[in-house]
Amino acid sequence: MKEFNYLRADTLSEALEMLEEFQGNVKVLAAGTDLVVRLKGDMVKEENILDISRIKELKGIYAENGIIHILPLTTHTEILEYPDMKTAAQILYDACKSVGSPQIRNRGTLGGNVANASPAGDTIPALFVQGAKLRLKSKSGERVISVEDFFTGPGRTVLKPDELLVDIYFPTMSDDEVGFFKKLGQRNALAISVVSVAAKLKKSTEPNKFDKAFVAFGSVAPTVIRGNRVENALMDSVVDSPEKIRYIAQLAWREVSPISDVRASLKYRQDMSINLLYEGLLELYKNGWNRRS
Amino acid sequence: MGEYKYIGKSVPRVDAAEKATGHIKYMSDLSFPNMLWGKIVRSKYPHAKILKIDTSKAEALPGVVAVVTWKDVPGLNGFGIVIPDQPVLCEDKVRYIGDAVAAVAAETKEIAEEAAKLVEVEYEPLPLVDDPIKAISEDAPKVHDGGNVHLHTKIVRGDVEKAFKEADLIVEHTYYTGRQEHAFLETESGVAKLEEDGTLSVYAGSQYPQRDQMQLSRCLALNPRKIHVVSYPVGGAFGGKDELTIQPILGLLALKTKRPVKIVLSREESIISYWKRHPMIMKYKTGVKKDGTLVANKVEIYADTGAYASLGGPVLNLAVEHACGPYKLDNVYIDGYCVYTNNGVAGAFRGFGVPQVTFAMETQMDIIAEKLGIDPIKLRKKNALRRGDVSPIGNKLTTSVGTVAVLDGVKETDLWKNKDRIEKVDKERPWIKRGFGFALTYQGTGLGIGLPDYGGAVLRFREDGGFIVGVGIVDYGQGTGTSYAQIVAEAMKCPVEKVSVILGDTDLTADSGPTSASRGVYTGGRAAVIASNRMMKILKEKAAELLSVSPEDLEAESGYFYVKNQPDVSISYEKIAMEFLKTSGHLPQTEGYFLMPIADIKIKDAFGLPHHIFAYSGHLALVEVNTLTGQTKVLEGAEVVDGGIVVNRQGFEAQVEGGYVMGMGYGLMEDVKIEKGIFKTVNFSTYIIPTVKDAPKRIQTVPVHDPEETGPYQAKGIAETVMVATAPAITNAIHSATGIRIFKIPATSELVYNLLKEQRKNESTD
Ligand SMILES: Cc1cc2nc3c(=O)[nH]c(=O)nc-3n(C[C@H](O)[C@H](O)[C@H](O)COP(=O)(O)OP(=O)(O)OC[C@H]3O[C@@H](n4cnc5c(N)ncnc54)[C@H](O)[C@@H]3O)c2cc1C
Repeated sequence: MKEFNYLRADTLSEALEMLEEFQGNVKVLAAGTDLVVRLKGDMVKEENILDISRIKELKGIYAENGIIHILPLTTHTEILEYPDMKTAAQILYDACKSVGSPQIRNRGTLGGNVANASPAGDTIPALFVQGAKLRLKSKSGERVISVEDFFTGPGRTVLKPDELLVDIYFPTMSDDEVGFFKKLGQRNALAISVVSVAAKLKKSTEPNKFDKAFVAFGSVAPTVIRGNRVENALMDSVVDSPEKIRYIAQLAWREVSPISDVRASLKYRQDMSINLLYEGLLELYKNGWNRRS
Repeated sequence: MGEYKYIGKSVPRVDAAEKATGHIKYMSDLSFPNMLWGKIVRSKYPHAKILKIDTSKAEALPGVVAVVTWKDVPGLNGFGIVIPDQPVLCEDKVRYIGDAVAAVAAETKEIAEEAAKLVEVEYEPLPLVDDPIKAISEDAPKVHDGGNVHLHTKIVRGDVEKAFKEADLIVEHTYYTGRQEHAFLETESGVAKLEEDGTLSVYAGSQYPQRDQMQLSRCLALNPRKIHVVSYPVGGAFGGKDELTIQPILGLLALKTKRPVKIVLSREESIISYWKRHPMIMKYKTGVKKDGTLVANKVEIYADTGAYASLGGPVLNLAVEHACGPYKLDNVYIDGYCVYTNNGVAGAFRGFGVPQVTFAMETQMDIIAEKLGIDPIKLRKKNALRRGDVSPIGNKLTTSVGTVAVLDGVKETDLWKNKDRIEKVDKERPWIKRGFGFALTYQGTGLGIGLPDYGGAVLRFREDGGFIVGVGIVDYGQGTGTSYAQIVAEAMKCPVEKVSVILGDTDLTADSGPTSASRGVYTGGRAAVIASNRMMKILKEKAAELLSVSPEDLEAESGYFYVKNQPDVSISYEKIAMEFLKTSGHLPQTEGYFLMPIADIKIKDAFGLPHHIFAYSGHLALVEVNTLTGQTKVLEGAEVVDGGIVVNRQGFEAQVEGGYVMGMGYGLMEDVKIEKGIFKTVNFSTYIIPTVKDAPKRIQTVPVHDPEETGPYQAKGIAETVMVATAPAITNAIHSATGIRIFKIPATSELVYNLLKEQRKNESTD
């Protein structure tokens, strides 16, 4: 492991100051559960590490006008322990629950999971379907973008060298919204997603119909992706039988562009995109499109 | 068994407190003043000629104290338990990607790593040998000059071809097993240090300190008495530390630098460089009568031993010996090959060749039971070996044989009792299918015929009236040390707290053979009983002298001698110890040596075969298969185990639970993938082992109390058999849940899913 220069910011403005000063030759460190692995593998080209983990302004959860704000240094465990998170953001809740192990969830942060930009990052598909927005800030200003516009490739984002992710927010789920997060790993804990699927459906007043549908897939493309064809089919059909669900789920085949690696083959990932979606929808259907208690 | 105070009881582990509190010092925790760090330079190619090794740049790096190559090996540049065909440092050729070519000692770990990168080695790649079957053919490129077949073992009894003609059913399949990694918590690590008197101390966790000493003496050209090996405590081994690993290189560096040198392997280096379970390809053809009587078994085995022999030969032979399962079979043809390739190195691993053939044979049995419509337990019972029977390879079984007791014990498990109440298809989620599976196995205890097999123990009397027992066997987690304490406490009639245990040290313990082959408790335990009986005689005589009675009048209990019928006349062990010190200035010490009994005959051309004592076990599994994803979850497990009389109930259960989960990993997920000689799964992110979330919620342990007269307090060894048949129990359960047959393990989700998909395709075209 090569040597690097360690810096620490204790306030947000200090951090933004330093980011500007080092102009790209600096890597942000939150809890380090992703970054330290990369450092050990000599996969980081920057020579400076900026530790932001003690910036209090970047930690915490609050709800305001039906919007939940999760600040980037909030850990997966803190998200799981936040009152009502399970109802307000069931999909993200389930995604956080599937991350790593208790130790990883106690340290790893939501901001780190997002900014790491892995196609297998488990909270990302959940944030896609929960309609999350990201606030990015630099010394000279700030901007807000949709989480879907954040990623440009594996490990790559639109973050500018002097920008920090400072807020992740999305609307609270309403009573007529249901959804799921499903993850297939090689085991039940400490597993990187082979395929993951998140979905959120806004029920129509008519039975088995949906006004809105959001579907996202992880680990099956260079970034997490939305499944627009599947969404359109869900909104345009009366989803009233397992056969219909199967038919719609099969559209996932047209959404995904996976690769083969040591964890799974391309073909298996393709099929699993369909089957996880099918299983998730079928479970909801069998529960009368109601949330499980 | 009521008469025992400690045998059969759940005595807490002697090392529990120091392990739970983190006080125990493993070899990777050791540190000495003036210590250097070592780093090994490994091959860049799986098979290549070495043209040139240039160490000058590495030597020039500030902070580097020594760089060693083959030229620095003072003795034989080779090690290996059976034949020393593995170079300490390669001279002219590398045979796998982990082969050691040079090593560096430097002031810091970082400098050592940097220097290792500066060692320049010029290679000329050679054609790769990566398929064990192709490797056998005459024109295949050769890993070793002598050819790629390291060992060929063939056992023929009766006439299989004739018997197949008389069979009503013939079941024929080819089976494949994965390359399992031991995945011990502590990687190969240690320190070597040259003492002032010229002794080389080698602190490195391993399974047999005295053999390490012998092998090191040969490589380093040192008098073995000038090598002190400490191999305990060890952070897990499972067979992976039976052979030498980093010790000869540590020794070389310490001798050259005259300073302590430490090496701790990274997980990646550990996985690439050292032993794995042999992947095997096994072709089975089994003939059976309509009533379920097995009449013939023809088996071909190809074991991929990788680049060097290590224990590959004995592993193959154990596979050959156990290939037919614990069943009566008079017509067998077993043809096994242990083959060199450039696929890493394979060696000893819990089960030692038996998990592979058990997977194959127990799947055959499950298929036969299904095809003939016979209950799987009844089918096995019909063919079960019993005491006095002749084994498939031809030896008479004269020691305890637990097959029938185990099969009867199966009915005592909750899983069996409830198996008809299993909801085969989940009502809410009909794509979830459940099934129940069973598999039976046995495992030889000890090294087998032709290999000197003995246990040794030294027993020292302590000043406080307690005892220290020293056995060369190593407790790498299995609980042997605690068993020795119990055995000595029982034999010496003293509180177990008063027995301390020393293990794995060439200076302080008696040679007790390797910690392998499920032999630790059996051999070391018997030796401890012998040493205890001698000690008892000495103490009794002294007590008799002090109490002015005859030794026959004395009875020992809880650290005291009492005069029979005079309960108020007694003397404590502590008092006796003081008397010894007063009169002679020292305390008595005894030794016990126990020669392992051997079988009636030797199997021709099959070194080490047969074994004489076997432990038996039946494994049960209830699984749930998600037919949409192919994921298998083991909901509940159980094992019925004949290990003779149980020495430590809690340790017994821990072995069963740990063995079951290890067997489950073998069956469902574990496989070190090597493509074109290159490792693809080098750490626990890609080499998948089960976590607590994957383990079944319950594993029931049902011991079968079948005493083995030759064992210490009638015990046998169970450390291996408890993992051996778990994989086929699970794959048989997958079949019962879904109808698909698993011929290849690990049965990963993807593999199961693909088989289900094929099954659906076939159904729709039928
Ligand atoms: C054993 C193990 C198991 C794991 N299991 C899972 C799993 O199941 N699912 C999963 O999704 N992940 C998993 N991970 C990955 C990791 O734990 C998570 O992604 C975690 O949420 C990362 O958070 P962190 O705070 O540790 O990020 P860090 O490692 O500190 O940072 C990750 C990246 O994000 C950047 N970054 C962090 N914060 C900001 C910010 N505020 N602004 C801009 N850039 C920022 C960093 O520069 C870095 O590039 C696992 C990791 C390990 C080691």
